[in-house]
Amino acid sequence: MNRPLHTEPEAPVIELRSVCKRFKDTTALDSVSLSLAGNRIYGLLGRNGAGKTTLMSVLTGQGFHSSGEVRVLGGSPYENDSVLNRICFIRESQKYPDDFTPLQAFKSAALFFRHWDADFALQLAGEFQLPLKRRIKKLSRGQLSAVGVVIGLASRAEITFFDEPYLGLDAVARQIFYDRLVQDFSDYPRTIILSSHLIDEVANLLEHVILIDRGRIVLDDDAEAIRGSAVTVTGAASKVEPFVAGLTVLHRETLASLASVTVEAGLTEAQRSEAADLGLEIAPVSLQQLVVRKTLAAAEEFSANAAATEMEVSR
Amino acid sequence: MNRVLNVARMQLINKWTFLGIPAIIMASAFLITLAIWALIPETGETKYAGSGQAVMWYFLALGIQSLTLTFPFSQAMSVSRRTFYLGTLGLFAVVALATSVIYYVLGLVETATGGWGMNGQMYALGWIAAEPGPVQILFYFISMITLFMIGFWFATVYKRWQATGMLVAGIGTAAVLLGIVALITWQGRWPQVGQWFAAQTPQTVAGWAALFCAVLAAGSYLTLRRATP
Amino acid sequence: MIDESRPIFLQIAERIENDIVSGALAEEAQVPSTNEFAAFYRINPATAAKGVNRLVEDGILYKRRGIGMFVAAGARERLLARHREDFARQYVQPLVQEARKLGIGAGQLTDMIKHSYTATQDLTEGSVAQ
Repeated sequence: MNRPLHTEPEAPVIELRSVCKRFKDTTALDSVSLSLAGNRIYGLLGRNGAGKTTLMSVLTGQGFHSSGEVRVLGGSPYENDSVLNRICFIRESQKYPDDFTPLQAFKSAALFFRHWDADFALQLAGEFQLPLKRRIKKLSRGQLSAVGVVIGLASRAEITFFDEPYLGLDAVARQIFYDRLVQDFSDYPRTIILSSHLIDEVANLLEHVILIDRGRIVLDDDAEAIRGSAVTVTGAASKVEPFVAGLTVLHRETLASLASVTVEAGLTEAQRSEAADLGLEIAPVSLQQLVVRKTLAAAEEFSANAAATEMEVSR
Repeated sequence: MNRVLNVARMQLINKWTFLGIPAIIMASAFLITLAIWALIPETGETKYAGSGQAVMWYFLALGIQSLTLTFPFSQAMSVSRRTFYLGTLGLFAVVALATSVIYYVLGLVETATGGWGMNGQMYALGWIAAEPGPVQILFYFISMITLFMIGFWFATVYKRWQATGMLVAGIGTAAVLLGIVALITWQGRWPQVGQWFAAQTPQTVAGWAALFCAVLAAGSYLTLRRATP
Repeated sequence: MIDESRPIFLQIAERIENDIVSGALAEEAQVPSTNEFAAFYRINPATAAKGVNRLVEDGILYKRRGIGMFVAAGARERLLARHREDFARQYVQPLVQEARKLGIGAGQLTDMIKHSYTATQDLTEGSVAQ
């Protein structure tokens, strides 16, 4: 990798301490604490409405948190030009001034992003087949998303946030985006935070995964560490249960006398041998499956807590 | 400061909004008025036209537009609200100043040509034209800023509180005005009010307007600070 | 190409190792850069780098500053030795377990193996040393 844009890549570029965001009747962010180092591609995963956009809003000073501390590049992002001019936040449905063309949007971006690469923007626009001189309000959904994606990539901002901006893009355009993202990140390392609910598509691009559910951080770990951190043990229930005793169970399914249990554990060679001897099948768990299981487990815990609280209240 | 200038540049990327349309409005209002006057038989009496006002109302709309259309985009450009505010208002101040000077100059031309050769009065309105040049320019300037700020202020209220905010602001304003009218009527002070109005000079009007603008400016800034794109 | 459920850096390392063992990557040959791996497999460059660095740590690859990564001398031998060590655990043990399940005795299994050797002699001629 070459020419990193951060001066101290190991110092955290983003720090959140017990950040909460409350609306009238919901808690969008519930005591979120994160510490993100620079020059990595982060995946901010979670269901729709989990809090991904709210989190990014708060980190870019565009939204406001109710309590807690937010530090981006060493400072608070809210109304702080010295921090703001080093970051870029591309939203899912970005609004542009009426009558603006993509070319005019790029001209604006050139004024505000110090590392803006105009040639790169034009090259990308060509790959996405963007009509540069057509009014943005006349563009298709996919073309509108493409404008945002191009600005996000060509800004080369030290911290670039992509909030599912590729939702309008078709599969081909999405692949172009992923390819260009990896390529440009290789050439110009910076911090990229990608939110998505299309986990399988982005999984291999991520270095670090942050999973958020109902405003809470459910997972915050290195992607490679997550891969291979869980297995599914299938076989006769009478043999499976003792085998998985003591391990953290993420999911359990039964069918007659068969049981299939997903556990959060990396099995040792000895354990694998033991499983083979018992006639148990050990299947790997992909990043996507793990994310789904963890989200569902968090949901179960949430409703269990809610039910318990309700019972307390009704007593 | 550089970023503030760049906000102004961004607002000017589409040349029509801040430059083109005002120019067209002024030019067409002027030409249309002249054309109409040319059709009226000459009687030696002064012909009045309010065409000078036309562009002022556009500035009200511009105040609204410069926020609603560009603010969300400025946030995407990672521009702080303060920078956006200063850049947009600063740009308009320059436009307003330039337009005011043009008005003043047109007023001089009007007087020199005897009302455009037709005894017309568009720009050199009696009450104002009597004042020295700088006062005239100041008066026009403050009037334009006031209209712009009204539009801008309404737009920030809308951005922050949406329809509810607009409703409250609208009803609130109406209530305040009605309240004042009611108070004056109840106290039987209309004659005094009339006298006070008659006594106003362009300077004093400009003074009150400037005060009003300052309040709107502060209000819109404070509202904008907590607005989301 | 990439297995979603195992650490990707390990898979990258394994692929390079396989290429060395099969002879596709000769000793002192240059290995593609991490950026090239990342682009080819569509993975994060840091992940590719992790896989490559693992091989550097194991002494399979070495770095020439400003030029790139190269296959170390003796890498193939070292890999073959390691794979041979793993062979018993990775292949023989499961084979024996499966054979037991099916009621195939040691002698019968040995005959099968010998038969397989002769049958595949011609096919594998010229690859890994006999």
